[in-house]
Amino acid sequence: MYLVGGMWLGNFQPNVLGKQGGKNFALASCGFVVQSNPMNPNWAEENLQTIRTLMERSAVYRRALAPIMLFAGTAGIVAAVVGLYFHVNSNLAFSVLWLGTAVVAVTEALLITRRQALHAREPFWSPPTRRVTQALLPPLLAGLCIGGGLLIVGNHDVELYVSLIWVLFYGCALHAAGFFMPHGIKLFGWLFMAAACALFSVVMLQDIQFGIHEVYGHWVMGFFFGVLHLAYGAYLYLTEKGKNAA
Amino acid sequence: MNPEPFLQLDRVIHEKGRLAIMSMLAAAPELSFTELRDALTMTDGNLTTHIRALQQGGYISVAKSYQNNRPLTTCSLTPAGRKAFAEYINLLEQIIRQTRSK
Repeated sequence: MYLVGGMWLGNFQPNVLGKQGGKNFALASCGFVVQSNPMNPNWAEENLQTIRTLMERSAVYRRALAPIMLFAGTAGIVAAVVGLYFHVNSNLAFSVLWLGTAVVAVTEALLITRRQALHAREPFWSPPTRRVTQALLPPLLAGLCIGGGLLIVGNHDVELYVSLIWVLFYGCALHAAGFFMPHGIKLFGWLFMAAACALFSVVMLQDIQFGIHEVYGHWVMGFFFGVLHLAYGAYLYLTEKGKNAA
Repeated sequence: MNPEPFLQLDRVIHEKGRLAIMSMLAAAPELSFTELRDALTMTDGNLTTHIRALQQGGYISVAKSYQNNRPLTTCSLTPAGRKAFAEYINLLEQIIRQTRSK
C-alpha cells in the first residue's frame, strides 16, 4: 500500500521518478492517457503513474540545498577550529560558540532560501517550506533544551555528551524533514542518528574507564556539522544543478 | 473486460488538465495559482477554465487574498473533491486488477 500526501494509491508502485526524471512535469508531457478506452490495457497504469508523480512533485520541497549545506559546513569547520585553537572549553563558552554558529547558519540558510524564492518569483513561505520547518522544529527544540540543560547543570566535561545529543536530535530533525524533501536528506539524517548512537556507546564505555577530555566536543561538532555538511553540499552542488522550486 | 469501472469514472476529474490539478492539490494542503501554473506549464486562461470547472463541481475551493500588496489566489481540495479523487484512484485500481487478471 502506498501513501502519497495522505492519499491512498493502493498496492501499485510504479517507478515514475526514474521514468520522468522528477524534473519536468509540463502538462503536455506529463503522460496522462485520459482519452483511452477500456480496450487499451495500459492507460490506467499510466494514469496512476502520472498521478503519483504529480503528487510527489507537489508535496516535496525542492529548493537548491547545496549552497545552504556548503555554508553550514564552512561555518561548522570555522567554529571547530576557533574552539580548538582558543581552547573554548567551559560550558558557557562552548554553548555560546556553537549556538552562535547555529544562529549564523540558520540565518544564512533563510537568506539563501529567500534569495532563491525571489529569483524564482515564488513566495518564500510556501507550503513545502512551511512543512519542512514544522518537521524540523520539534527535534531541534528538544535537542536545544536537553543539551542546554546539561550544559547548565552538568560538570565541566559534558561537552562531548552534549555534542552527541545535538548530533542525534539534528539527525532526527533531518529525518523528519526528509519526508518532505529529496530522499537523500532522510539518509543523511539516518547517518547522524546512527553515528551519534554508536559514538554514545563508545564514549560512555571510555568515560567509565578513562574519563573524557572536553576538547573532543569540538571535534565531534566540527566533523558532523562541518565536514559532513561540506561533503554533502559538494555532492549536491554537482548533482542538483538547475533545481530550485518549492 | 468488464467496462463497468471505466464507465463510473468521474468525467469532471477524468480530463488531463483537471486530473493534473487534482493530483497536485491532493498532496498539498493548498497551492497558489502561480505554483499550479508553473508546475503544470499551463496558460493562465487554461488553468482558470479548469479551476472553474472543478470549483463548479464542488471539488476545489478557491481563496483570494493579498501577499505583499499583490493578489494571491490559492486553491485547495474540498472534502468532496478529496473523496471523488480517492474514488477515482480506486476505480483505476479496479481497472488495473481486471486487466491483470485477464
